Amino acid sequence: MKTVLKNIYSWIDERVHLEDVVHFMGKKYVPVHSHTIWYYFGGVSLFLFIIQVITGILLLLYYKSGEELAFESIQFIMSKVQFGWLIRSVHSWAANLFILAAFIHMFSVYFGKAYRKPREITWLSGMLMLFLALAFGFSGYLLPWNELAFFATKVGTDIAGVVPVIGEPLLVFMRGGEDVTGATLTRLFGFHVAVFPGIFTVLLAIHLLLVQRQGMSEPLEYAVEKNTVRKTMPFFPNFILRDLLLWLIVVNILAILAVFFPWELGKKADAFAPAPAGIKPEWYFLFMFQTLKYIPAQIWFVDGEVLGILLFGLAGLLWMLVPFWDKKSSRGERNRWVNYFGLFAVMYIIIFTIIGWLV
Amino acid sequence: MKKYFGKPILLMFIIVSLVIAKEPDKCFECHQSLGDKPSELFSRDVHFQKGISCAGCHGGNAHAEEMEQAMDTNAGFLGVPKGDAISETCAKCHSSEEMLSKYQSQLPHNQLEMLETSVHGKMATSGKEHIVQCVTCHHSHGIVSVKNATSPVYPLNVVQTCTKCHANAAYMKTYNPSLAVDQLEKYRTSIHGEKNATGDANVAECASCHGSHDIQNANDVRSRVYPTNLPQTCATCHSNSQYMKEYNIPTNQFSEFAKSIHGVALLQKKDFGAPACNDCHGNHGATPPGISSISKVCGSCHALNAELFSESPHKKAYDERNFPECETCHGNHGVVDATDKLLGVSEGAVCIQCHQHDKFPKGYETAKTFRSIIDSLEIVSKAAIQLVNEAEQKGMEISEAKFKLRDAQQARMESRTMIHSFNKEKFLEVTKKGFEVAEFVRSEASLAVDEFYYRRWGLGISTFIITIVAVSLFFYIRRIETKQQTHNTSST
Repeated sequence: MKTVLKNIYSWIDERVHLEDVVHFMGKKYVPVHSHTIWYYFGGVSLFLFIIQVITGILLLLYYKSGEELAFESIQFIMSKVQFGWLIRSVHSWAANLFILAAFIHMFSVYFGKAYRKPREITWLSGMLMLFLALAFGFSGYLLPWNELAFFATKVGTDIAGVVPVIGEPLLVFMRGGEDVTGATLTRLFGFHVAVFPGIFTVLLAIHLLLVQRQGMSEPLEYAVEKNTVRKTMPFFPNFILRDLLLWLIVVNILAILAVFFPWELGKKADAFAPAPAGIKPEWYFLFMFQTLKYIPAQIWFVDGEVLGILLFGLAGLLWMLVPFWDKKSSRGERNRWVNYFGLFAVMYIIIFTIIGWLV
Repeated sequence: MKKYFGKPILLMFIIVSLVIAKEPDKCFECHQSLGDKPSELFSRDVHFQKGISCAGCHGGNAHAEEMEQAMDTNAGFLGVPKGDAISETCAKCHSSEEMLSKYQSQLPHNQLEMLETSVHGKMATSGKEHIVQCVTCHHSHGIVSVKNATSPVYPLNVVQTCTKCHANAAYMKTYNPSLAVDQLEKYRTSIHGEKNATGDANVAECASCHGSHDIQNANDVRSRVYPTNLPQTCATCHSNSQYMKEYNIPTNQFSEFAKSIHGVALLQKKDFGAPACNDCHGNHGATPPGISSISKVCGSCHALNAELFSESPHKKAYDERNFPECETCHGNHGVVDATDKLLGVSEGAVCIQCHQHDKFPKGYETAKTFRSIIDSLEIVSKAAIQLVNEAEQKGMEISEAKFKLRDAQQARMESRTMIHSFNKEKFLEVTKKGFEVAEFVRSEASLAVDEFYYRRWGLGISTFIITIVAVSLFFYIRRIETKQQTHNTSST
């Protein structure tokens, strides 16, 4: 057996020089310090994304897009297809855990100032992937074509429609018309299974390549202490095996969630039915939704909702461009304001999400 | 202004009337000598008898010798009131408590107010006056007490008075084209109308049900004949044992109806699909349904049951024995919810009333079988519902089976209807469908419940395996890291 594997390895190595990659991985080390735990969230996000791809493809075998078919096909998947209930529940739960892991990963990178030179492109590709993950969530939410999803999409696209200048065309583009209809479903389905995964894969490849090429970033305080002896662990097999251990735990969590809290399907969407009470977006949009509810209708001469959306847009842009305005961190100096800004953002998101959940 | 001057004017009016009453009424004397119709009628008028002069309504000086002085507008002469001024003239006294008590009248003082808020208080098509004035029903110069047999609103005359307008199709279509104009004709065919025509003033006429001054449209919730108010309106007479004594009919219809399935639906649940008295007995053409027609009355709503019954062997048997059809088993005013308990030969069942084992063994056995099958169908349906609920509570996707439950429910309803055919084959055909659906639902739900436990077991086993792998991996990592540390220490 060993000889066969060795022969296969030699056959490939002869053609693509695998030895270089193995040598590179063997020489790659991961810094060990009190914040090493945060490194694993990148891997967890990746793992959850892989689960999404696999379960998504399996769902595609039975899912039928269209106003008259979508809900029924999910119903079929959940009741008739062997393990269909498990695949659908895992897909829904993994989507939420993926966004949660991606947020944690992003904040750990932010507070560790890992975005500083030379990792600006890694940060940018990561941020774009986070935005895409939110877009995945938004587009996927409508696909079962149930009542909650229908009205949440209506509200969500309405909010997008408020954006000055591009809002109206954006709304029509997202909905495939003036209203949320079967055309919206087909459109979001197309984005969810073709456009977004395509872009995401390119960004993910860039992101992973850069991580491998540049290695893990050390926190600023470790990086500036030149004289101390730094602890490291080999990327292969130590870090990879630890990653694997965490992934097994995640699989267990997902299985428990899928069995004990199967993702509900609800009622089929009916455009003529009144909107059910307490329509809320998915939890990761809740802090923005809640903020928009608190903003007065008119602030001075500007529409409150427009102002809110513009402020969120501006904050998001500022956040994404942090490697370019935080020059101090790149120079190896401490920048307290970046921390304050980050802490404010974390607290704001947590508090408003809780309020949005409870109200 | 009216507030400040109303009372002094009224007082003056009373004083003038008193003075006039004591002195000869020149208006009446003159007009009587001319032999005109109004004065002739007025001599029998209740107002004349109470000492009220022509000037009471027409104004002027009733004591002046000369006509020019008597009918001088400066002396307050009004002439013949027109339009709404007619009712306003009547209201000068009839809306005044003081005036009514002065003449010892027991009449209510809000008649005009009621008239104006009634359906007749709407504006006429001319747009100049209200549809009905006091004189429209009570006449003008020959007004007598309502209790007087010559009054146009006396119970025996009121139907003619109302139909002056209500039987006039040309007139009525200008106000309500959809309103029938044959009420009088129908009324005369009813027991109420027949008795009224023979001089019985106690039976119901128009005003008994619709009211007098306060008549509302039948669709108006304030109307006495609005579906939810009608049973109480009928009960005003029909529940009064003293009043109904001479007619020798029961007076418990309303109390029975109020407790019945129909009464509870109409009076408590406000379900207008449920019948009120008039839906079975008719309204203007009210007549108690006889044995030959009662199935037609019930069948107008319960069509399928009536049709099945008329084709059943019971139809002939009932006709021969002069049994009322639906009523024999279900009762009439106190008709109860037709549960399965009515069926069969056990306590509370109605079949056993005729089909005793010793007299009609075949009917006895059939009734017993019907009940046993319908009970079994209920038991399997309930078991299926219970399993569906259990599966749903366990979070299983069971919507298809749940939807199918409607078919089981439908089959149960159909089988209950099919009982009225009293045909075993037809009954079994329907119940068979019910049993099949219930079995399908039960098996689907049962599979879902089993699947739930299968998932739990599957989760337990897979979690256990994954945990074992994870723990092994943990120890493996520790082992290689210990090895690496040993290797590093020895190399340094």
